[in-house]
Amino acid sequence: MKFKLFLPSLLLALMSYFVQAQNPTRVSIKGTLQDTLHEAIPFATVMLLNNADSSLVNFLSSNDKGEFAFNNVKNSTYLLKVQHMSFLPVQKLLQPSATILNNLSVVTMKPISTMLMEVVIRAAKAPLRIKGDTVEYDASTFKVPPGSTVEDLLRRLPGIDVDADGNISTQGKDVTRMYVDGKTFFGDDPKSVTKNLGAEAISKVQVYNEKSEQSKLTGVDDGSQEKTMNLELKEEFKKGAFGKASLAGGTEDRWAARANYNRFNDKSQLSFIGYGNNINQTGVNWEDYGEFKGNNAFNNFDNGDFGFNRNGGHMFYFSSDDSPVSNYDGKGLTENYGAGTNFNFDNKKTKFNASYFYNQTQLDFDQKSYQKTYLDGENAFEQYDSLVNDDFRSSHSIATRFEQEFDSSNKLIVKANFRYSLNNNNKINNQQFSDYTLEPYNSLKLDNTTDLAASKITSAAIYRHLFKKKGRSFAISGGYNSNTNDGTENYNSINKFFEATTPTEQIQQMINTGKNVNELKSSVLYTEPLSKKIFLEFFYNFSQLTNKSNRQAYPFGNELRIDSLSSYYDQVTMYNRLGSVLRYSYNGLNASVGFAMQQLKLTGLYSLDEGLPWYNENVTKDYPNFTPNLNVNYEFKNNMRLDLAYSNDISAPDFNDLQPVKNLSNPSYQVIGNPDLIPENAHNVEFGVHYWNPSSFSSIGVNVNYGITKNPIVYSQSSHFDPKTGMITTSTPENMEQGTNMGSWLWSSMPIIKTKLTIDINGGANMSNRPTRINDTLNDIKSQNYNLGSNLNYTASSKLILSVGGSGGFSKIRYNKSEMNNQDYFNYVIRSSIKWQFIDRMFFESNFNYSVFKNESFNFDQSIPLWNASVRRIMGKKNKFETRLAVFDIFNQNVNINQYAFNNIVGTSKTNTLARYFMLSITYNMKGFENKIQKNRFM
Amino acid sequence: MRKYIPVYTIAFIVLLSFQATGLKAQKPEGTIRYLRTQNWAKMMASVDYISKQQRERSMYMWGTRSEWKTYTHLHLNADESKYENSEEEAEPGSEGWSNRKETFFMKRNFKDNTLYDGITLLGKTYLIHDSIVPPKWKIMNDMKEVAGHICMNASLNDTLRKQNTIVWFALDMPVSAGPDRFFGLPGVILEVDVNNGALILTADKIDLAPVTTELDVPAKIKGKKITMTEYDKLIENQIKERKAAEEPWFWGISY
Repeated sequence: MKFKLFLPSLLLALMSYFVQAQNPTRVSIKGTLQDTLHEAIPFATVMLLNNADSSLVNFLSSNDKGEFAFNNVKNSTYLLKVQHMSFLPVQKLLQPSATILNNLSVVTMKPISTMLMEVVIRAAKAPLRIKGDTVEYDASTFKVPPGSTVEDLLRRLPGIDVDADGNISTQGKDVTRMYVDGKTFFGDDPKSVTKNLGAEAISKVQVYNEKSEQSKLTGVDDGSQEKTMNLELKEEFKKGAFGKASLAGGTEDRWAARANYNRFNDKSQLSFIGYGNNINQTGVNWEDYGEFKGNNAFNNFDNGDFGFNRNGGHMFYFSSDDSPVSNYDGKGLTENYGAGTNFNFDNKKTKFNASYFYNQTQLDFDQKSYQKTYLDGENAFEQYDSLVNDDFRSSHSIATRFEQEFDSSNKLIVKANFRYSLNNNNKINNQQFSDYTLEPYNSLKLDNTTDLAASKITSAAIYRHLFKKKGRSFAISGGYNSNTNDGTENYNSINKFFEATTPTEQIQQMINTGKNVNELKSSVLYTEPLSKKIFLEFFYNFSQLTNKSNRQAYPFGNELRIDSLSSYYDQVTMYNRLGSVLRYSYNGLNASVGFAMQQLKLTGLYSLDEGLPWYNENVTKDYPNFTPNLNVNYEFKNNMRLDLAYSNDISAPDFNDLQPVKNLSNPSYQVIGNPDLIPENAHNVEFGVHYWNPSSFSSIGVNVNYGITKNPIVYSQSSHFDPKTGMITTSTPENMEQGTNMGSWLWSSMPIIKTKLTIDINGGANMSNRPTRINDTLNDIKSQNYNLGSNLNYTASSKLILSVGGSGGFSKIRYNKSEMNNQDYFNYVIRSSIKWQFIDRMFFESNFNYSVFKNESFNFDQSIPLWNASVRRIMGKKNKFETRLAVFDIFNQNVNINQYAFNNIVGTSKTNTLARYFMLSITYNMKGFENKIQKNRFM
Repeated sequence: MRKYIPVYTIAFIVLLSFQATGLKAQKPEGTIRYLRTQNWAKMMASVDYISKQQRERSMYMWGTRSEWKTYTHLHLNADESKYENSEEEAEPGSEGWSNRKETFFMKRNFKDNTLYDGITLLGKTYLIHDSIVPPKWKIMNDMKEVAGHICMNASLNDTLRKQNTIVWFALDMPVSAGPDRFFGLPGVILEVDVNNGALILTADKIDLAPVTTELDVPAKIKGKKITMTEYDKLIENQIKERKAAEEPWFWGISY
């Protein structure tokens, strides 16, 4: 008996033990969804989430009886989440179940305030956050005018009522409590908040029920709840500032200072920049200029010149603003100052930019040059120049741009730039000439001064419309450009002869110059899709360029005009072009073929002075042309691209080439224009292949172009020896029969060891063949130029980067009538550099270039070793300071060399420039410096 | 005077209409068009191994004008889905220039639990046959409407690509499909936001109609056959290499 009783009780005890201590490893969870009226809720989304991180474990849909069941799931702590469009979401914490079946029986869902769902989510398209019974509005999606109060904002929130007195209610109940960031604000009256606080400061509005004050105090929940509103304040607008300032001083009186500061928020950017130095930084660098212009830096490509051939032929550009980027060419010493400010506004629909920049440069250099001029037969003469150049330039520039996107199919861009510049220049040049026997014959001393003031306006408007039909579009543009120059030129030359019998000749003249160029232009473009792949384009271009130029020459100190050197021109170039392009575009193949009828009308009138009778008859020269155009671009599989283009460009002669009046700024070299010039007609073919491998980051590109120019404008040279004057060269532009040019270009970059060692190779070959008249003999001058360069870049570690490379150029000039004058000259340079972070926050950077310039027929051989090195250290708490000690040109060897050849003239020049100096600088960077080596420059 | 809105009247009507749509929106079948917006500057901004200053600089200079829009399609029925690029141009006025179409499709069969993807990666075509492993979603609390459907949101953290993704899935379209690599939720994913706007996919047109050939994949496709693990490995290697060179990893790889 005892035993009989014992066994079942033992079993019972055991069972209860197991049940309590060891939950089943896998369970089934089931339940039924019902609304508050006990109706079943079908098709609700039921999700089982991991309680620890809300990750989704399993999900299902409730059936038509509102039932759901998760079978055979791991027994652990879950969050059960039930979601249905018409009910407030339910979230339930499920503890591990003691039984195999965890029956939740009935889960009740409260109907959502459908008005909220409908009005907020559907009508206002605003995300609505519902947590339990808190409803949250995203204030930023409800637009209120600037300066509005919170009350104005609340009036716009669906589901919230604000009466005339400012009382707030929601879901039929008054809002009795108001918090700002969860804290009471100005006492208890909600109106004190809503009437005083600005709407702009609010990011979210939350509405929920809170236990009454009474129940909070007593701790007894009396069931009464108060509607409560919480206003969440915005984190500051997306805004910030960055900037840098640096000051440097060195030996040889070298100094440099610069500063830039940018402020921005989500819609606008404001920047300031300023610099001053005497280390040949004549402007800002591209990187700083990019930051200065901010998101407007890439807007200079607005093109209003529609149709093919945009860069060929006619001067048909909407010129970009003259940027204050450093353009030092390597000659002389400069002292530079500049400052500017830029403002950008961009709210995606409207973009506005305005900037102002002032810069000035004082440039001084001494240049020694040697030049040989080859004449017909075996004749040649030599010339040694010693030039002292003193040049001052300054300019004020204002640039504005406005872009409005009215809707997705209408867009307007308006640009206007203004620039006022001054230039004062003095050149003192001592020239020594030989005669045909290369014996020194005479010396010419030139002392010329030029003072010039120029103002320039460029403006353009472009409007684009996209039609409903995809691919159909219309665009129209208009532009006005003007350029006015006023200046005085003083020429002073003394021609002395080594044979004492020839008398010295002196010329002293003053020239007043005035120039006014006006351009009016307009273009229209219409595109019609013939199918999804074929498009037909029609375009029309018009421009009228008026050039009025006046030169009045006087003997120095005398008011009597020198008629032979004075002239007034009024020239008009009219350009009309009507064309069409048929384009095929599908799956990587883009091909277009186009034709245009163009007409170039040139009218040129000239007289002695403005208002005096014209010398010539008013005749308009008319050059109608039919120009074809072809463009093929094909993208192969594997990132290979092929381009083929053909164009026919007709370009009008330059104004200066048309003016047949002598300019005696250099009596030994006189340029006289030719009013009989006709337009050049060039046919150009270009072919290119490019390949890029994204997995190895290697690339290769080849380009070849070939051109034939009919009636090329070439300067004929005529040099004659006259015992009374010495050598005098006259240069006049002439149309020749035909010239050709050929160019090729290769570029490649590939890793030898991935991410460590990279090689870059580039090379090119250019040839041209131009008939040139030299002393009345027609010479065929062939010039060839080859260049090749390579660079190895080795990243030893993140702290050490080395590179070594070199490049060279070789030029050949061949004359068919005087082969003994053929020229060969070459230049090459070997480069190496190191960037090394040798201790934390300490860097060593150095580069060494060895340049060689050679021309054997001149016995010219010059090499320049240029070695720069610097050590810098980053300092300060947040790496905000940097001090740098730099040495420029350690060997003190720097000089600027130039080798050139032009027609029958070959020469070399040597100009002084900045040589060795030491410099210590300190820079402050608001954002702090990167404590590592900059590796790449892909941006 | 307080505005009086007959809340319960509206509620009743709306409730009815919701339930009606809820009832008939069982297992949708059709085609969803997504507007795919890629923001280059924001993609750059999310590459943590590139110096902060460089990323901030590109954001400052390009932030507002580095978006590129295209259309993509998701075809689906109760058991299958296929995601691919659309022929249609989304960028206004970009007609008249066409880039080469690369092989790209992502097929999911939820019944067999298999996937078949054809993807061009770094200039090579890969064919991936594998079983489906849904991403590890975290369910969040927000609700909003996308293309006429009430959606709730979920998030995903991709440690390989360093991407934080928020998606919105429709409560009334109970199929686990979604665009691109994103699927495996109780409803069709109608919006995707990767790294705060670097890539956004938004359903802008939903055509519910029986699909036929839309779900087919091209029969003859040349490409290297690999598994999902091998594919992820390829991406991992590329990211590692680009990281060493301090260059963005997403050139030649779909973000």
